[in-house]
Amino acid sequence: MARMKFYCDAERCIECNACVTACKNEHDIPWGVNRRRVVTIKDGEQGERSLSVACMHCSDAPCAAVCPVDCFYTTSDGIVLHDKDICIGCGYCFYACPFGAPQFPESAAFSSRGKMDKCTFCAGGPEDDSSSEEYKKYGRNRISEGKLPLCAEMCSTKALLAGDGDVLSSIYRKRVINRGASAFDWGVNFNNSKIQG
Amino acid sequence: MRVHALIVMVSLLLTVFPVQAADPPAKPAEMTSTSTGAEFWREVRQPEGEVTGVSQVKSPGANVLVNVSGLSWREYRLETLIPSAGAAIFIMLFVIAVFRLLRGRIMLAEGRSGFRVLRFTTSQRAAHWTTAILFVLLGLTGLTLLLGRGLLIPIFGAEGFGNIAGATRFLHNYLGPVFMLSLTWLFVLFVRDNMPSPSIDLQWLLKGGGLFGKHVPSERYNAGEKLWFWVASVVGLAVVISGLVLDFPIFGQTRATMEFYHWVHGVSAITLIVVSFGHIYMGTAALDATFEVMQSGYCDTNWAKEHHDLWYEEVKDSAEPVPEDQAASGTGEQRKESTDTA
Repeated sequence: MARMKFYCDAERCIECNACVTACKNEHDIPWGVNRRRVVTIKDGEQGERSLSVACMHCSDAPCAAVCPVDCFYTTSDGIVLHDKDICIGCGYCFYACPFGAPQFPESAAFSSRGKMDKCTFCAGGPEDDSSSEEYKKYGRNRISEGKLPLCAEMCSTKALLAGDGDVLSSIYRKRVINRGASAFDWGVNFNNSKIQG
Repeated sequence: MRVHALIVMVSLLLTVFPVQAADPPAKPAEMTSTSTGAEFWREVRQPEGEVTGVSQVKSPGANVLVNVSGLSWREYRLETLIPSAGAAIFIMLFVIAVFRLLRGRIMLAEGRSGFRVLRFTTSQRAAHWTTAILFVLLGLTGLTLLLGRGLLIPIFGAEGFGNIAGATRFLHNYLGPVFMLSLTWLFVLFVRDNMPSPSIDLQWLLKGGGLFGKHVPSERYNAGEKLWFWVASVVGLAVVISGLVLDFPIFGQTRATMEFYHWVHGVSAITLIVVSFGHIYMGTAALDATFEVMQSGYCDTNWAKEHHDLWYEEVKDSAEPVPEDQAASGTGEQRKESTDTA
């Protein structure tokens, strides 16, 4: 089976936030909940880089480890999903997650946390594929239609890649070779391209 | 609602110091790399403190790429908190069971006198039982959330336990602030007679409260009761403050802050639960003629003489005969006890 992965190419991401917008639109996500976000480091300075972050669908997912009700499961494609019928909105997954992926609508009284929402790799949830119940809880199920996540599919610079990990790494490897990786710098920065001559 | 928010704000202000202590270093680490290779990713993973950027998403922590405190919190919860909470509860129950086997039910040496004195006023009993009921509910719901995944999912299944845990979280979150009020009420009503009186209390503690020897002089409350009072008050305050911070995640608390207060809440709540087992056992099954005191407010004069002799000297003039109807049930219980032991 494929092992589904996201990869964001920091050399290509232009912080257009289209992935964020596309995701919100595709899954009809409420205000205040962002399954994906773009973080820019050293904004406006030399070496500025942007990365688009969402659930990274970890193999040993910390959210699943700390969940008090065990509502997470991993699909055969390596996608980490959760069951909103079981989730109690405690917030522990958000504390444990390295990427800040779990989101909580402020739905209950006193703005306490509602049931957790996160990136599903456009794979829905435990309900029947593409049923209206699944759409209401988890958004579109593109994987069941043979499509990849929309954020990556419509990325204008193809910075954000989604799909089988082996395919992604071969795409990225070709990019690195074309950019001219140097043995003197373990990176792929254009600043160092003169070393190559 | 406004009052509620005010209380939360005040308690947050009170706890500014620990928040600062828990937060990562104030000065953000500098990103020095200009490459997008391994060096860049190493810096993103933040080996030396939190690297923050900017993001159009404005929720707390959205500008942090990698949450460094998450892994240690995960390890603490799974490898320290859950096993040690289970062990502490098990050890305390074991100690109580051993004590029961050694001493059995401790009867009044001279039996009942048939006279009684007032020990707890109606408002004291109301405060005690309100706090006690809330404490038991909060303790049970809290332990369900802490240990339920291991203990209850095999029984109820994931979906069934999800429903139980949902109701449990609801109860726990809404009863918590009520517990804060009732604990304050209890503190105000009981603090006067729980002030330490060093000479008497030290002697009581040194002689082990007379549990394994003869009686040690005691005032209205003995040193053991005073210790429980102060543990319940001080640790209770920690439980309440940390609970409020966790209960209202709407003031922009960072993940590190929430993890710190989760740590405070877990450690202090388990401490309270374990110590409360001792209090509950001593107040119910351990000592004869004790549970009825917090039930009715009155204690038998022989009970007062035996357990709180210095206090009894002060109040013995107000002793009155036990009313007919209550005396009957009292002796009936005594008769039952004697047949049990015979």
